[in-house]
Formats: sequence, C-alpha cells, structure tokens
Amino acid sequence: MRKRLTLASVLSSVLMIAFTLLTIIPLAWMILSAFKPHALIVRYPLALPLSWYVDNFVLSWTQGHLGIYFINSTIYSFVATLLTVFFALSSGYALSKFPYKSSRVISLIYTLGLLITVHSVIVPLFIMETKLGISNTRLGVILPYIAFGLPFQVFLATTYIKGIPDAMQESAIIDGATFFQVFFRILIPVATPIISTMFIYTFLGNWNEFILVLTLTSDLTVRSLPVGINSFAGGMSRDYGLQFAALVIGTVPMIIFYLVFKDKIAQGFAAGALKE
Amino acid sequence: MTFSQQKRMSYYAFLAPGLLLFASIIIFPVAYSLTLSFTSFGGYGTPEFIGLGNYAKIISDEVFLHSLRNNLLIVAISVFGQIPLGFLLAYLLHRKMVRNGDFYQTMIFLPITISPVVVALLWNQIFSSSGMVVALIRRLTGESQYVIRIFEDRQLAILPILFVLLWMHTGTYMIIFYANLQKMTPSLLEAAQIDGANESQMMIRIILPSMVGTIATTAIFAISGSLKAFDLIYAMTGGGPAHFTEVIAIYMYINTFKYYKYGFGSAASMIIVLLAVGLILLLQYISRKFERRFE
Repeated sequence: MRKRLTLASVLSSVLMIAFTLLTIIPLAWMILSAFKPHALIVRYPLALPLSWYVDNFVLSWTQGHLGIYFINSTIYSFVATLLTVFFALSSGYALSKFPYKSSRVISLIYTLGLLITVHSVIVPLFIMETKLGISNTRLGVILPYIAFGLPFQVFLATTYIKGIPDAMQESAIIDGATFFQVFFRILIPVATPIISTMFIYTFLGNWNEFILVLTLTSDLTVRSLPVGINSFAGGMSRDYGLQFAALVIGTVPMIIFYLVFKDKIAQGFAAGALKE
Repeated sequence: MTFSQQKRMSYYAFLAPGLLLFASIIIFPVAYSLTLSFTSFGGYGTPEFIGLGNYAKIISDEVFLHSLRNNLLIVAISVFGQIPLGFLLAYLLHRKMVRNGDFYQTMIFLPITISPVVVALLWNQIFSSSGMVVALIRRLTGESQYVIRIFEDRQLAILPILFVLLWMHTGTYMIIFYANLQKMTPSLLEAAQIDGANESQMMIRIILPSMVGTIATTAIFAISGSLKAFDLIYAMTGGGPAHFTEVIAIYMYINTFKYYKYGFGSAASMIIVLLAVGLILLLQYISRKFERRFE
C-alpha cells in the first residue's frame, strides 16, 4: 500500500512537471528569441541571445503601430468591462430582489444567450453597423462587447445578489430610501467581492477578443492589439525578430495581470460550471 | 407616484440598459441572420428568397464536410482530452499527491490569459522550419534537413492545432474541477478511508459520481467552445493550406467577408448554432442516463 502510493506520487509529480514545462518552455523560447535579430533566430533557433538586442521591440512597436493598438485595447477593455459589470449588477438586482413574473422570462433569455456565439450574429451586426454608420468606430466595438459579456455576468450577479439578505434593503426602504439609493449605497458595497471577479473575468475576455474587431473595423486607428499582432503573421513583416517582440509585448502585460489576479480569474471560470 | 408604482418603475429602469443592448445586438441579429440564411443576399439590393437553397449547397460542399469533420475532432479532443486530463490534474492537486501544488496550478492555468492570436503565432514559430521542435529533432536525430510535413497532409494537418488547443485549455478544466472538488464534503472521503477503501475505489465510487453534474456542464462549455473555434485557427493557418484545417466558423467567415455571400454565410452560422444545440441535447441525455445509474 505504502509503496504503491509513493509510485503514484512520483508519477503525479512527473505529470505536473511535464505540463509545467510545456507552459514555460515555449514562453521562455519566445522571450529569448525576441532579443535575437532575425538572422540569428533562423540560423540558431535554440541559441541564447548574444546580447540584449532591443531593436526588435522598438521597431515592432513603431512599424506595427502597437502604441495605438495598445491604447484602443485599453479603452475597449476598460469602458466595455465597466459598463458590462454595471448593467449586469443592476439587472441582477432587478432579477433577484423584485417579485415580478417577467423576471423569470428575462433570466431565461439571458441563460439562452450563453449559447449564442458571435458567429451567429456577425453578418447582421456588420450590416446594421454599416447602415448606422458606427462600423469602424470605437462605439461599434464597445456595444457588442457589452452585449456579449452580459449573459454570463448577469448570471454571476443574480446568483450573488440572491444570497444577500433581504432585511438589509427592506430596512433602508422603510427608512425612506429609494431603490436607486439602495442599489448604489448598500448593494454595490456589499457585492464588492463578486464585482471584482466579474470585472477581471470580463476584462480578460475583452482584452483578448479578436473576431469582432477583425470584422467590424478596418482602420488601424480603431483596431486592437490582437488584430494588430495578427498582422505580423501575414505579409507585413517577415522579420521573425519583430514578430517575437510583438508577441512578447502582447503576452507580458497579461502574464503580470494573471499573476496578480489569478484567484479572481479562477473564480470566474469555476463559477461558470457551478450552476446546477 | 405610489410606492408600488415607484417599485415597478425602478425594476424596469434597472433592467432597461442591459436588455436594450442585448435585444438589439443579439436577439434581433439572430432573427435577422436566420431570415438572411434563406436568401441569396449579397450585400446590396433586395434579398431574394431561395428557401433552403443555401443549406442544400452547404451540406453537399466538400469543403464544408471537411470543416465539419475538423470541428468534430476539436469537440472530441476537448471532451475526451482536455476534460479528462484537467480532471486528473485537479484530482492529483486536490488529493495533495504532489508538493508545491500551488506552483504547478499557477503554471498550468497560465495559457488562459494569453490571447489566442498570440498563442497561434507562437506555436506557428515553434513548428516552423526555424522553430524549436524542428531544431530539437534535427539535433537529436542528426538529420540536418528535417522539416515538419504534417501541415501538408489533408488528413493530419489539424493535429498540431488539436495539440495547441489541448495546451491552451486543459488548465481551465483543471481549475473548474479543482474548485468543485474542494466543495465536496471531506467527511465522505474520510469515512470511506476508515472503511478501508483505496484511492481507485474512492475515485470510482465517490468522487466521479458526485462530479457527473460538473462534468456535464464543462462538456457543454467544451462543445459550444469547440464549435466556435475561430481565433486560434484563423491566426495559425487561416484554414489552409487548401482548406485542410478549415472549421465551420472559418468557412462562414471566408464566404461572408471574402466572397460577400451574406445569405450563404448566415446559413453556415445557423448550422453552427444547430450543431451546438443538438450536441448539447445529446450530452444532457447521456448525462441523465449516467446520473440515474449512479443513484
């Protein structure tokens, strides 16, 4: 018994180490390659950089317009995430603390929304935005981001707010507070833990989003980082050094974001599978 | 305004912004898309109604059938690859079979933060003729001219993509299972241990049955996620070479935005929705059977 357990734990360690190396090695190779000039990457893929060659970063940042893409990604992620979380919270409050029949239907509609993919609306959305004149604008990206973020965030908010005791809001209402005051002064402070989970989870999704920006925009002034980085793959640049530098620029901020907020991100993913 | 009127008004005000956006950006376009899928709309003029013409053309298209096959392989790798592996890893972490579990967990979950586009370009480099894999194989075998030919094979070209998907998503399932395993009451396992149950008995008799619900939910995630797989493949191969790695979402994208066949593209996107709903219903049927068996 004892011996079998040790064998099992050795095998477990081997498996864990294998998966960990599978994550670390590609990323380490990417970062090291970003400091090598193109010729060196092609000739000696496994060699360490000879010096800390930073021209790749400078050139990919300027030639690839990564600065403007970075700004756009930041705007999209912050604005869309803030509004998604705010609307989801107010919807969650309405759906869990008001005794109207329509709330069940609306909850069901949002739940069905979880199954709808971007692809099933992308064609009409493109036509609609072109007609309204908001394709190729930041607004035209932010609105769909909010709509697609809502179903899951409404679900998270509703579940959490349901768990907050009714007594808290009832006594405030009796004291003459309006429902809006209850929402802003009582509910939002109490819901801070779920708000941060919602915010971080939504932010991550928006930051990495690709197909909406790809189809709804064509000007580089409104495109985001993933779409910008993708253009390094095509004809724009055959310089592998620049490509690796662009990949590092796209990855490192997210790795830092991840290391800081790992538990919140994990909670967001885990909460999705907890619904029964 | 009476109190009950005020209450009702507040209720609508809280719901309005979200519902308005959701209805105009998701519900209305889905209906619109369904309507377009029965027409030969090409971007201008009045759409001409052609019934099921688009659907008939799609399901007899060789390229579509290959895309469908690729999509089903992606569903298979996520349901039979990522989920079991994620479960195994979560189980080992939960049972504290390894030291430094937190560190491993952090590293294995990490790919989730990286944009699929970045992941795609990174792995393209790794598999390329000046990439890490080729360099390692050349060094190990001494064959200095070795290159990877797998992308040139119609049947096998999807394999590297399946591997990368496994790399990206196994950690996600690990995190989901880990969170759910920790919610299990430890007393059950302790009681079983006292009664002399060994690891594999506890796994089969206690842990797996209590996880059926979670497994089914994650499988729903996996299926709908697999059918919409787009970003990674679009950035890795664009569906090429010669449609070898195409999936339905890319098939739809190319037809819509390269050939401006809006009606046709809408029909393809409706097929994605239908497939997702169909597979999810099938899955719920199967998981209900399982749950009954464990009861």
